[in-house]
Amino acid sequence: MWSKPGSRGLRRAAVALVAASALAVAGCGSSPDTGGAASGEGRTLTVWIMEGTNPDARPFFDEVTTAFRNQTGASLDVQFLPWASAHDRFVTSIAGGTTPDVAEVGTTWTGEFGEAGALADLAPRVQQAGLGNGLVDGLVEAGTVGNALYGMPWYAGVRSIVYRTDVFAELGLKPPTTWDELVQVGQAIKAAKPDMVPFPIAGDNEYGVYPFVWGAGGEIATQNGTTWTSALESPQARQGIKFYSELSTVHGLSTPAAATWKETDLRDSFAQGQSAMIISGSWTPKAILEAAPELQGKIGAFPIPGPTGGISPSFLGGSHLSIFEGSANQDLAWQLVQMMSTGEFAQKWGTESSFFPGTTELLNQAAASSDPLVAPFAQQMVDAGRSVPVTPLYGQVQGKKTISTMMSSILTGAATVDQATSTAAAEMNQIFAGGA
Amino acid sequence: MTTVRERTRPGRGAVTTGPRPGRDPRKNIRPWLLLAPALLVMGGLLLYPLLRVAVISLQDFGLRELVSGRTDWVGFDNYAELLGDGQLWRTALPNTVVFAVATVALTVVLGTLVALLLVRLGPVARGVVTTAIMVAWAIPAVTGTYVWVFLFTPGDGLAIQALDALGLVDAATANPFTDRLSFFAVAALNVVHHGFPFVALTVLAGLLTVPQEITEAATVDGANAWRRFWSVTFPMLRPVFAVVTVLSTIWDFKVFTQIYLMPGGDGVTRSVLNLGTWSYVESFAQNRYGLGAAIAVLLTALLLVITVGYLRLLFREDEL
Repeated sequence: MWSKPGSRGLRRAAVALVAASALAVAGCGSSPDTGGAASGEGRTLTVWIMEGTNPDARPFFDEVTTAFRNQTGASLDVQFLPWASAHDRFVTSIAGGTTPDVAEVGTTWTGEFGEAGALADLAPRVQQAGLGNGLVDGLVEAGTVGNALYGMPWYAGVRSIVYRTDVFAELGLKPPTTWDELVQVGQAIKAAKPDMVPFPIAGDNEYGVYPFVWGAGGEIATQNGTTWTSALESPQARQGIKFYSELSTVHGLSTPAAATWKETDLRDSFAQGQSAMIISGSWTPKAILEAAPELQGKIGAFPIPGPTGGISPSFLGGSHLSIFEGSANQDLAWQLVQMMSTGEFAQKWGTESSFFPGTTELLNQAAASSDPLVAPFAQQMVDAGRSVPVTPLYGQVQGKKTISTMMSSILTGAATVDQATSTAAAEMNQIFAGGA
Repeated sequence: MTTVRERTRPGRGAVTTGPRPGRDPRKNIRPWLLLAPALLVMGGLLLYPLLRVAVISLQDFGLRELVSGRTDWVGFDNYAELLGDGQLWRTALPNTVVFAVATVALTVVLGTLVALLLVRLGPVARGVVTTAIMVAWAIPAVTGTYVWVFLFTPGDGLAIQALDALGLVDAATANPFTDRLSFFAVAALNVVHHGFPFVALTVLAGLLTVPQEITEAATVDGANAWRRFWSVTFPMLRPVFAVVTVLSTIWDFKVFTQIYLMPGGDGVTRSVLNLGTWSYVESFAQNRYGLGAAIAVLLTALLLVITVGYLRLLFREDEL
């Protein structure tokens, strides 16, 4: 820590030196990298990957490492980071000049790190490789600041509702297709299975709130030129939040404990057989079945219904592969990014992790699946995937847990929907107004 | 803590020798040479970060500044914003101060009571009890916090079930983590449980140095246990109590882990933010390192004032 300023200067000099020599080499008539051109002999790329996305990540990366060595001669040093501490790790590595060459970056962070100058702009490389039109829109949008693309779409997922098929069959229930039906189904479960929580509403789970805001026709925030304004106080948004919270406060489909739950607590309660329906990502059923093999064959999924039919939009989140500005091997790094985000490896990663690939071609293949735990999510993603406001300032809103604070204050009765949405909107607008 | 004791002991009277005759300059340097390695390490690991935090608190320091190495001086803007923020006066400061006062009092009282118990026990029983409380001390704060959270899990937590059986709460609806008072009650249990063994063992060590004759003489004079403690034991152990109180105050003022890891303690439940968690949230979730640093400086300044106040109070008659 205390040698930081010195080491940063040194690092910069080193980067400049390497960059200069790379230019000199390029000047000596080697063709611009067209994929093949193995130039990584003896070099090693450091790669940071989030832990837990793919339960079998290690064998996958053994294969990637072998394939990459065959293609370029370079080796990979793959390190796994837990999601929970990853943001801190990125920030401290940026500060200390110890960033990796390539990293998986959550889509909501890419703009933030990119705007701060830590990530390389991939737009020219994507254009040159002819990939410009084949990438999933939502992911490109999330990685774009101005004209720069700071992350290559790698994979994406959405949240829908996962439910217990055995409970539904026993009670003769069908997956709800409207909000009224959602309440009816929940009440039927509550009446027949008093020990079960029909549909827990987690307080600290912002991605469970958004579908109901969007489903009711509301927005989180609206953009006017370059400024953003919160839209949580609109009648539509309030109506959606009211419905969502009343599932707990009025209809009693949740439990008081859930007011402080996170998304992982939803998963745990479902795996323990305590909950009948939960809002869940496409990647969660696999983890649930691993934790509770006895639920095999008893789990299904359906898209989050719209108020009177259709599908409520759900947050399309996922990860980019980004190259750090501090990397001395950016050309080599791009070859790895391309290898992992397109073709065979992208498809394999999607299958293994239950996420969807970041290229439209592969996504459409996945959407045609007949798997009952894949198809509803694919439908939700293709038909009703949405982004949260695409501005690094929204990362600050999320960091402040504005939405979670709003929900938990409503669920505990500390504030009414109108009060809580006004408080949240004011806080959001303050951040939009200048990062304060 | 040794410095405090070393510094205070000669002052207490009997064997003071006064300034040493014929000071040799080489002898003057020697202690510093011996201290040098420790001072260097402390300077690097404590003093530099401390100064750096103070410097950052005068800047608008975000991720961009972190990456580019640029500096953007804003003077005392961060402090102005901090002191003008209702959250400081309504939430963070009261939460920090009241919680610290309550937990320090509980920790020192409980620790002293346990020490008084220990000193009366035979060697075997003392060994057993000491081991038992050492376990509480040895548990890392993270583990301890999860255990207490587990005990108070709404619905089926053991402690909640017990309180339900006593008719104090309704297990089906109670969530102790959403209410400010009950949140800090659970946190206080955790912090006191983790902190009292240190007090107990330190006070026990002090008690063992109190000459038996004095206590016996007091007993012969007709002093009861309460009187003996306040008239004999406490005055003799004043430096020991100073040390445990000051250290407990420092720990309980800057308590972070035990709050942050509780449900809602990471900023979701705004009414339970304290200076430590607020500083962290501003710095690392908001990337506003300047404001976060200003909060940290405020916390440090507060601690300094309180520590100096304590020491003056405890040693006023003797040497200050």
